[in-house]
Amino acid sequence: MGRQVTPEADGGRDLEGSLPAVDRRTLLKVENVSKAFPGTKALSDFSLQVGAGEIVAVVGQNGSGKSTLVKVLAGVYEMDSGTVEVLGADGSMLGGREASAALHFIHQDLGLVADLTAVENLALGRRLTARSIAPRNGGAERRQAEEQIRRFGGDFDVTVPISKLSPPERTIVAIVRALADWTDSGNLLVLDEPTAALQGEEVEVLFRAVRRVAAEGAGVLFISHRLDEVLGLADRVVALRDGFLVADEPIAKVDQAALIQMIVGREMVDRSFAVDGEAGAPLLEVEGLSGGRVGRADLTLRAGEIVGVTGLIGSGREHLSPLIFGGLPRTGEVRLEGRVLVAESPQKSIAAGLAYVPADRRADGAVMTLTMRENLTLPRLKPLRRGLGWLSSRAELDDVGEWIDRTEIRPPDPARPLEKFSGGNQQKVVIAKSLRTEPRVLLLDEPTQGVDVGAKAAIYELIAGAARDGCAVMVCSSDAKELAALCGRVLVMRDGEIVAELQRDEVSESRMVEESAGMGPGQESTSERIES
Amino acid sequence: MSTEGFRRETGRQRLLRILSFRNISAIYIFIALFIIFSLWVPDTFLKDSTWKAMIDSQAITAMVAVALVIPVSADAFDLAIGTEVGLGGILCAWFLSSKGLPIPASIALTILAGALIGLGSGLLITKARITTFIATLGVSSLLAAMIICVSGGQQILNLGKSFQSIATGTIGWFTYPVYIMLAIAFVAWYVLERTEIGRHVYATGGNADAAKLAGVNTSRVIIGALVACGAISAAGGVLLASSLGTGDPTTGPAYLLPAFSAVFLGSTQFRGGRFNVAGTVVAVFVLATGVKGLQLAGAPVWIPEFFNGAALLLAVGLANYERSGARFFGLSRLLPAARRGGTAASEGTS
Repeated sequence: MGRQVTPEADGGRDLEGSLPAVDRRTLLKVENVSKAFPGTKALSDFSLQVGAGEIVAVVGQNGSGKSTLVKVLAGVYEMDSGTVEVLGADGSMLGGREASAALHFIHQDLGLVADLTAVENLALGRRLTARSIAPRNGGAERRQAEEQIRRFGGDFDVTVPISKLSPPERTIVAIVRALADWTDSGNLLVLDEPTAALQGEEVEVLFRAVRRVAAEGAGVLFISHRLDEVLGLADRVVALRDGFLVADEPIAKVDQAALIQMIVGREMVDRSFAVDGEAGAPLLEVEGLSGGRVGRADLTLRAGEIVGVTGLIGSGREHLSPLIFGGLPRTGEVRLEGRVLVAESPQKSIAAGLAYVPADRRADGAVMTLTMRENLTLPRLKPLRRGLGWLSSRAELDDVGEWIDRTEIRPPDPARPLEKFSGGNQQKVVIAKSLRTEPRVLLLDEPTQGVDVGAKAAIYELIAGAARDGCAVMVCSSDAKELAALCGRVLVMRDGEIVAELQRDEVSESRMVEESAGMGPGQESTSERIES
Repeated sequence: MSTEGFRRETGRQRLLRILSFRNISAIYIFIALFIIFSLWVPDTFLKDSTWKAMIDSQAITAMVAVALVIPVSADAFDLAIGTEVGLGGILCAWFLSSKGLPIPASIALTILAGALIGLGSGLLITKARITTFIATLGVSSLLAAMIICVSGGQQILNLGKSFQSIATGTIGWFTYPVYIMLAIAFVAWYVLERTEIGRHVYATGGNADAAKLAGVNTSRVIIGALVACGAISAAGGVLLASSLGTGDPTTGPAYLLPAFSAVFLGSTQFRGGRFNVAGTVVAVFVLATGVKGLQLAGAPVWIPEFFNGAALLLAVGLANYERSGARFFGLSRLLPAARRGGTAASEGTS
């Protein structure tokens, strides 16, 4: 079978008996879990144990199976096979729904209600009982909340709305709430990218709280993209790649280079979609761009080239294209073929020859309730217009038919509402509608998010085709493999700025992961000290 | 898979789709109502005067409902529509009797006032960023105050014979308002269904953020839709005043609920859940037919309200139920996949 567990996995994975400390009870036992989606196997035969007081980091690229793991643990996805067990209050192992209920999750968005105070948010976590109708004891409740929060190193006003607190303070409220109903010390906390919204010092505040949790005997499963954090916080690191567990190592045996090696694996340089040939004249020039999470960015896109933009969540990577396109307010200058673009006017940007494919197609990319045909033609209806504003149905269907055949949208039914298409085909429609405006510059955010493997290749082909036709293309993506396959040049963003530019022969997954994590050049990924 | 390219729908597929129960349930319900009441109360129900009276009396309701379709399609629920009708009637009567303006000027000024009210609501929504419900609810209250202010809470009488003839004069079978309503419905249908403006309206209503990123000026769409709605409902108010022969401060707001019922009921017809003009007009008359039949059969006075409410809840409830993936009776699972639209298998999560 296709299991790729490296031999070093012996370090504590076989039996509880081999765990170092005697009182280390196993809090979470995941055994041989598999989960497949149409077209991909998201998790293959995955096993993991977390002991009391242990902080285990899970690392892996986008699409490696991390988020599937979280969703399986949370009970959002049903696993195809395998078991998840959690130590219950009575000392027995719980399975199934009870297991999911016994885990405490903190997701990226924290799940707090912004308008309520810390006290009220903590109260939300409690179960309603018949006594809930009795008036609340405000003072006692407040003192209790203050005490709990202080335990995790927080010192702030618990009676102001959460939205007025700093990001790490909010995270502490979320941790306190997650652990509010813990039974004794045998609890397991799952942190899913908790630091995405945090910066610098703030991370340390959160980490102190997490260490405190572990010191009190809870197990922590910590999922993160930020490698320095993993090295600084975790006791053990588990790496996932393409749904397989590829490494499970105590942190002492791992350094930065080894970590990158674990994540990226044997690098297969698949450049099948990269566009050859020299880039042409500069089409888009951006100077002093700032807004959103972008502090300052300067860049130039040339005709016929595909430029990638990588960076962790919060690095500004996710705001770059909407700022350029005019979907977010900006300062700084954007010029297309020498002409300055008006800020905050998608309409004028489209007219000037700019096209933008947003990351979130449900929210920004398309009108799901309209038909595929209406979505395809929406950005440019002018060529279909006849006298009295009449839209020619025949011209529209001819036009749409051509794009359906070109992009292989399935089913080829223009009258079908977009929401009834699969994710891959929805994305093809979103990209096709941008290409239909005949852009000079094409900006794409996460162009293959939530798309199956087959559709991915088709989308890459569309993007490469646009570049071959002389379009300047920018792809912002959290998927380093994708950028390696497509791009002739990759910009790396960190803390709101472009901190590195990788040229053609430097573009590789490991370089991107390295630069994004702020681990600088000099440390090549060709690490010899990965034990396997 | 690569063998199935884009093909146009054949005539037969198109006809079957158009005639499917889901698409035109109101028409089938109308036929059922017609048969039931024809057998139950044939003497009165089948008389042509019954039908003429019903169609004449529903013309203004249909017109107001058509006006409402426009902003609702752009996701701007105009709760002020009832008072817009009311103010239209009062203003027109006031211009005529208190100001002594000629009929054409009075009507033009009234419609202009309606358009300005729509503009005001539109600016509150797009510039002051007040949600549509709150903005139009507030405007509705302001207009109710203006109605009383202008009329002094009294009916405005003596509007003159020639003004009354606008709503009572007939061409062929029906009174003028029926033709005016049809003309307005046609224009609204044309703009919404067949022009770029209409696409922009539906895109704004479906997802304003995505529409904006696709280059739609959503603020202008919302303002324009509310202006059109205000102007048409003011015109409805004029016809109302004309048919009553008075400017009545109490009648307008009564159009709010029937208009909303018809618009929502209409959205379940023809266009697969989309608000649309044709469905709305049909809904008005199907509801009226049911109510009329029940009245003729001697049903108690509370029946019309009850019937309207029940029909609305049932129609919209069923439409939502179907859209959420559950099918009628679950029995359709037994049908071969191809007959259920043929593409269920390709609706993966991918």
